[in-house]
Amino acid sequence: MSAGLSGTVGTAGAVGSGTTPAVTLGTGDLAPVFVRLKLSLLRNGLRQSSGRTAAYVVSVVFALLIAAGQLLGLILLRGNDGAATLAVFLTGLVALGWAMLPLFFPSGDETLDPSRLVMLPLRPRALIGALLAASVVGIGPLFTLCLVLGSSIAVAHGAAAVVVSVVVVPLALLVCVALSRAVAAANIRLLTSRKGRDLAVLSGLVIAVGVQFVNFGIQRLNEAGGLSALDPVADVVRWLPPASAIGAVDSVSDGAYGPAAVQLLLSLAALAGLLYWWQRSLVKLMTAPDGSTVAAVSGPARKESASGLGRLLPEGRTGTVMRRSLLYVWRDPKTKAAWITSLAIGLIVPLVNALQGNGSIYLACFAAGMLGIQMYNQFGQDTSAFWMVALTISSTRDAYLELRARAFALLLITLPYSALVTVGTAALLGDWRALPDALGLSFALLGAMMATGALASARFPYSIPQDSGYKNVAPGQAGLAWISILGGMLGGAVLCAPVIALTIALHVSGADAWTWVVLPTGTAYGALIAWAGIRLAAPQTASRLPEILSAVSKG
Amino acid sequence: MPDQVPDQAAKRAEQTERAPAGQGAARTAAPPAVRVEGLWKRFGDQVAVAGIDLDLPAGQFVGLVGPNGAGKTTTLSMVTGLLRPDMGRVQVAGHDVWGDPVAVKARIGVLPEGLRLFERLSGRELLGYTGRLRGLPGDEVDKRATQLLDVLDLAGAQHKLVVDYSTGMRKKIGLAAALLHNPEVLFLDEPFEGVDPVSAQTIRGVLERYTDSGATVVFSSHVMELVESLCDWVAVMAAGRIRAQGTLAEVRGDAPSLQSAFLELVGAQGRDTGESLDWLGGAR
Repeated sequence: MSAGLSGTVGTAGAVGSGTTPAVTLGTGDLAPVFVRLKLSLLRNGLRQSSGRTAAYVVSVVFALLIAAGQLLGLILLRGNDGAATLAVFLTGLVALGWAMLPLFFPSGDETLDPSRLVMLPLRPRALIGALLAASVVGIGPLFTLCLVLGSSIAVAHGAAAVVVSVVVVPLALLVCVALSRAVAAANIRLLTSRKGRDLAVLSGLVIAVGVQFVNFGIQRLNEAGGLSALDPVADVVRWLPPASAIGAVDSVSDGAYGPAAVQLLLSLAALAGLLYWWQRSLVKLMTAPDGSTVAAVSGPARKESASGLGRLLPEGRTGTVMRRSLLYVWRDPKTKAAWITSLAIGLIVPLVNALQGNGSIYLACFAAGMLGIQMYNQFGQDTSAFWMVALTISSTRDAYLELRARAFALLLITLPYSALVTVGTAALLGDWRALPDALGLSFALLGAMMATGALASARFPYSIPQDSGYKNVAPGQAGLAWISILGGMLGGAVLCAPVIALTIALHVSGADAWTWVVLPTGTAYGALIAWAGIRLAAPQTASRLPEILSAVSKG
Repeated sequence: MPDQVPDQAAKRAEQTERAPAGQGAARTAAPPAVRVEGLWKRFGDQVAVAGIDLDLPAGQFVGLVGPNGAGKTTTLSMVTGLLRPDMGRVQVAGHDVWGDPVAVKARIGVLPEGLRLFERLSGRELLGYTGRLRGLPGDEVDKRATQLLDVLDLAGAQHKLVVDYSTGMRKKIGLAAALLHNPEVLFLDEPFEGVDPVSAQTIRGVLERYTDSGATVVFSSHVMELVESLCDWVAVMAAGRIRAQGTLAEVRGDAPSLQSAFLELVGAQGRDTGESLDWLGGAR
C-alpha cells in the first residue's frame, strides 16, 4: 500500500462518516467475522486440489496423533520427578517454535496480512482482538492447546492448582499465538522484501542443520542419564513466559504461592506486552509505505563485480555461460542452497567416517557423486528464463557449447573440491598409498555424472519452485525428478564400472605398485565419457527446446 | 497519454489513405514479415489456437488484439519458436521457424509475457549475457548496452539486480535485450501491461524510431486506444481464431473507434448494467 492510503486507520471514523453512518466495530463484532474468514480461506484452499486436501488431512491426523500422544504421555508422567521439568521445557520449546514459525513461513496466514485490511475502517485495538481470535483457529493452536493442557495436568496437584490451571491453559496458548503474530508483524517489512524471501529459501538449510543439532543433543541427553540433565535449564525456563504459566501451576502445587503469583503475572505481562507490540507494528505497517517502495527508492547500487572473473574466462558462449552459472551459484538462493547441501554432505560423509575410524578413502568418491548431481536438471535451474537460452540455440553446435560451458563451470568448483576431500580423507586415514586410485575413481565418477546429467537435463527437465525453501520439484513432476536423478546415478555407476573393475583387479592381483595407473586412466576415462555424454545430449537439447521450456516453466 | 490518442490516430489514418497505389503493390510483392498458415494448438480439451492464417506486412507496426484468453500469447509463442504447434506452418522473413531456426532466431527479437528473465543478474549483466549468447563481439555488446540503458532511462539502475526492478523497468530491460542484436522483426507480448505512463512513452519512442528504420514490430495488447494510436496494421483475435486483419482503417470500417469495431467483432456489444444498481449514487 502506498503512503497515499496511509490515513485509513487513524482517520477511519472521520472518512467513514461522510458516506455511511459512522459505525465503530468492536472486537466482539469483528471476531466472528475473522474466524469465519479464516475457516473459509482454509476450506477454499482445500478445494483447490484433492492432493492438497489429502496432504492436509494426513498432516491433521498426524498432528492430532502426536498431540494426543503428548497429552497421554504427560498425564501418565503425573507425579513423576521429571514431570515439572519436562512440562516447563516442552512449553518453552513450543513457544520458541511459534516465534520462529513466521520467519520460516512468511506467507502462512492471509487473515494476518495487514495490506489486505488497510482499506477497512477498523480501529487497531478491535482489529488486534479479532485477529487474535482468528489466530487461535487451526491445527497449530490445537496442537499447542493439547500440549499446554497435558503439561498443566502433569504438574497440577490439589484444588488450588486446578483452579490456576483453568486460567493458565488459555493464557499460555494466547501468549504463544500473540508471540508468533507480533514477531511476524514486526518482521513483515523484512519478510516481504526480496532479501527476506531469499533468507526464507535458505531457511531450509537452517532446519536441516538444526535437526542435526537436535539429534546430537538427544544423544548427549541419553549419555548424560535422562531428564535430570535438563534441570538447570528448566530452572531458568520456568520463569520465562509462557512456560512461567505452567511454572505457576507447579509452584501452587508445591504451596509456593508467592513465586506462583509472580510467574503468573510474568505471563500476563508478556501477553499484554506482546499485544501492544503487535498493535504498534500493525499501525506502523498500515500507515507507512511498504518495503518494496522503500527498497526501490533507496536500493544500494551493486558494484560491477566479478569483472576479474570475466577476464579469466574464455570469450564467446563458453565464457558467457560459465560466468552466468557461477554468478548464480552465489546469487540465486535456490542454487546456493543446493550447492551448500552438496558441498557439506560430500565433505561430511567421508570425513566423519574417517574420524570414527571405520572409513575408507573410497568414500571420498561421495563428494564427486554429490557434486555431480548439480549437473542434473540444468535447465530447470534456469526456471522459465530458459527462453532466453532457447532463443539463442539454433543448432546442435550451440546446444553442445551451452552444455559444455555449464559442465566447465561445475568442474571449476567440483574438480578441486573433490580432490581436496580425497586428499583430506587420505590424510585422516593415513592411507596415502590409495590416494591416486581414489582420485582416479573420483574423476571418472565426476565425468560419468556430467554425462548422465547432461542427458537427463535434455530428456527429463522439471521445474524447481522458486518461492519455497522446501519444495524442489513442481507438483506433478516428482516422478520425473526421481527418474532423472536415480536413473542418472545408477547410470553413472554403471558407466564407471570399467574403472572400478580396473581398481579391484589391480588390488586383487596384488599389483599394488601399479594402482597409480588408475589416476591417469580414470581422469582420461571421465573426460572422454563426459564429452561423449554432452555430445549425445546436444542434439536432443536442440530439438526439444519448446518441450524443455514448457517443462521448466511450471514452478 | 490518452489526450494525444486522437491526433496520432488521425495522422496514421491519413497516411494509410494517402498511400499511393504503387507503394501498396510493392508491399504485397515483398515477402511478409510473418506468414502463418493453418496454425493449431490444443492443451488437453482446450483449443487455444484453432487454425489461424496470418500475413503480417514488413516494415510496419502490427497489433495483435483480443480479449484475455483469445490465444494471443500462444500464437506469439508458436511464431517465435518457443512453443511447438500441433499443426501448421510459420515463416518469419521468408524462413521457416521450425525448419530453419538458424535463419529465424538471428532475425527476431522477443519480449514474452509471463516468463522470467535471469533475474539474479544486474540489468547491464543481463544485456551483456544476452548479447554475447547472440554471438555479438564483447565490445560491441557493451557499447550497445550503454546506449540502450541510456535511452530507456535505466542507466541509474544498471547495476541493480533485475529481481529488484519494478514492472516497468523489467519490460524496458526485456525490450533492450530483445533489441540488442538489431533484429528484423520484434515480437512483444503485452509490452505496456503494468507499465507507468512515463516508461510507456519511453518504450513507444524507441519502438517508433525502430519501425521508421524499416523493421517490423508485432505486439499484442488488449488496450484498444493504444493499438489505435500506434499501429498501421491490426489483426483481431478471439477464442483462438482471427476475426479480422488488415490496415487499421479496414478493420475499423464504419465504426467510430477501434474499440467499438472490436467489441462488435468479438460479439460483446451492449451488456447493459440496467436498473439493478439503482441504489448506486442514490440517497446516502
